[in-house]
This record gives sequence, structure tokens and C-alpha cells, in this order.
Amino acid sequence: MATTMFNRTAVNSMAVAVGSTLRNATRATTKAAPAQACRTVITRDGVLQNRTALMAASRFGAQQRFISSSSSSAPVGDGTTQIPNFGDYMKTSSDDTSRAFAYMMVGTTGVLTMAAAKATVHDFLSNMSASADVLALAKVEVDLAAIPEGKNIVVKWRGKPVFIRHRTVGEIDEANAVSLTDLRDPQPDSARVQQPEWLVMLGICTHLGCVPIGEAGDYGGWFCPCHGSHYDISGRIRKGPAPLNLEVPQYAIDGDKLTIG
Amino acid sequence: MSALGKFNHLLVNTLFKRNSVFLTGIFAGAFAFEVGYDGLTDRIWRRLNEGRTWDDIKDRYTS
Repeated sequence: MATTMFNRTAVNSMAVAVGSTLRNATRATTKAAPAQACRTVITRDGVLQNRTALMAASRFGAQQRFISSSSSSAPVGDGTTQIPNFGDYMKTSSDDTSRAFAYMMVGTTGVLTMAAAKATVHDFLSNMSASADVLALAKVEVDLAAIPEGKNIVVKWRGKPVFIRHRTVGEIDEANAVSLTDLRDPQPDSARVQQPEWLVMLGICTHLGCVPIGEAGDYGGWFCPCHGSHYDISGRIRKGPAPLNLEVPQYAIDGDKLTIG
Repeated sequence: MSALGKFNHLLVNTLFKRNSVFLTGIFAGAFAFEVGYDGLTDRIWRRLNEGRTWDDIKDRYTS
């Protein structure tokens, strides 16, 4: 009784399976008996499926046979279904040719995109930096031979005053004699000058941006009248509210010619 | 196999087989392309502006 029940269930489930495949597949019956138990179905994409109801689970037992239309010259099928031979329409070149073409197109697109992206980014970034004519105007040249020893001059550079002092030997010794522990912003004199006799620095108080007065203050250097900051002969802060030494700009000394910027 | 077929086979097996090699090739190709393209367009521009650039009149102003 149990066996009969099982067979019935199996046949029923097979009928359901075949019914669903029939809706979207062409059906070819085989001569194998019983007809209901074994069917060969060719789906649309040319896959042969044998369905045998006697198998325990017909879904998992389905065999797949792939037909390559180029491998057989004669039409496949048993009369009910004929699969035409597509050989005449298949390409004759090798797979490598197609791959080489496809990857070449992808690669070329990549190369062009990469170059364009790099150029775009480069243009945007170079747009932000100053152009060559602006940089050329932003330099100031000073003739050092015109400045006697022990004298200050003030030149304007990019809208700011720049102090240039021709220091005497005594002043250089005085600047070097200062102990770094006495300084609020410790910096040796050698780090602030390229040539000891020429002191070049921005004339802007590091406190609130006033212009200090030269040859004044308690330390023989500069004195800011706004809030009373005293700078020494190396431009270092010694007394008052300013937190940092006077800033040293980029400059180059070539003989008697000083170029700031 | 034809010469083109051999070339394609070589290309696929050396340059396109590994993605790392393919991508490195794209970077190198982009660099080479940029150098060549920039050089070419610069040369064309210089030819169109012959006699008018700073390099052409520099001698008159600098010693």
C-alpha cells in the first residue's frame, strides 16, 4: 500500500514538473516505455533534459546535455524538433582575436580617461598656485652695498614691511651670547640669518601685527609701541605679549644683491 | 594561425591575462600618451606663435 502511494505521488509530481516545462519548452517524446515515465525535453536555449519519473527526485536527477551547433553538421532532433545548423553564421576568428579587440577597446578608453582625469586635476591644482608673472612681481631686490654698517632699512614686500639690518660685529656677538633658556621662542641666531651681518625679517609684531620701531626697546633691537613687545638684535621676542620671534622670510643673498621672495 | 592571430594570442596572454598587468599597462600607457600628446600640442602651439613668445624676445631684455 505504501509503495503504491509512493508511486502515485512520484507520478503526480512528475506530471506537475512536465506541465510546467511544457509551457516554455518544446517537447520531444522518446520511444522509451513507459512514455509517461521518461521524457526528453529540449528547452529554448538548446539544453536537452531527460526526465525520468522513476527517479526519486526528478528535479535533482535531471541530466543536462549541451548541444553545440557548430560541432555537428547535421540538424539535431528526431523529426519533431529540428535544431538548425548555425555553423555558417559562427565567426571564424579565434577567441583570442575577440578578447584582444575587447580588452584593447577597454584599455584604450582607460588610458584616455586616465590622461583626461589627470589633466583636469592638474589644471585645477595649478590654477590655485600663483602664476609666473605674479611670482616675478612678488620678489623684491635690494642693493646691500647702499646700507652702511649699523643701519636699518625697511622695504615693502607683498604689502608688508621687511626689516634689513646691517649688523656690526658687536651686535652679532651680542646676539650669539644670549642663552637659549632665556628665550620665550628659543632659536639660535644662526638659524635666523644666512650671513651674520645681514638680518632680514618681516617687520610685523607677532602679537597683533603692528610694525615695531627699530633701534629701540630694552634689548637694543626692536620695540612694538602697540603693546610693548621688546625684540633683541636678532629679532627674537624678549619681553612683552608677543609669543613668537619676528618671522624670517625666504631670501637669497648673491654678492651685494638681496632678493626677498 | 595568421600573423594577426599570433599577435592577438601573444597580447591576450601577456598583457590582458592578469588584471594587475592590464591596469599597470593602462597607467603606463596614460603616462606615455600624456607625454606624447602634450609634446605634440605644445609644438603646434609654438609654431603658430613663432616670434611672439618670451623665449623669442628674451635676448632683447636680458644680458
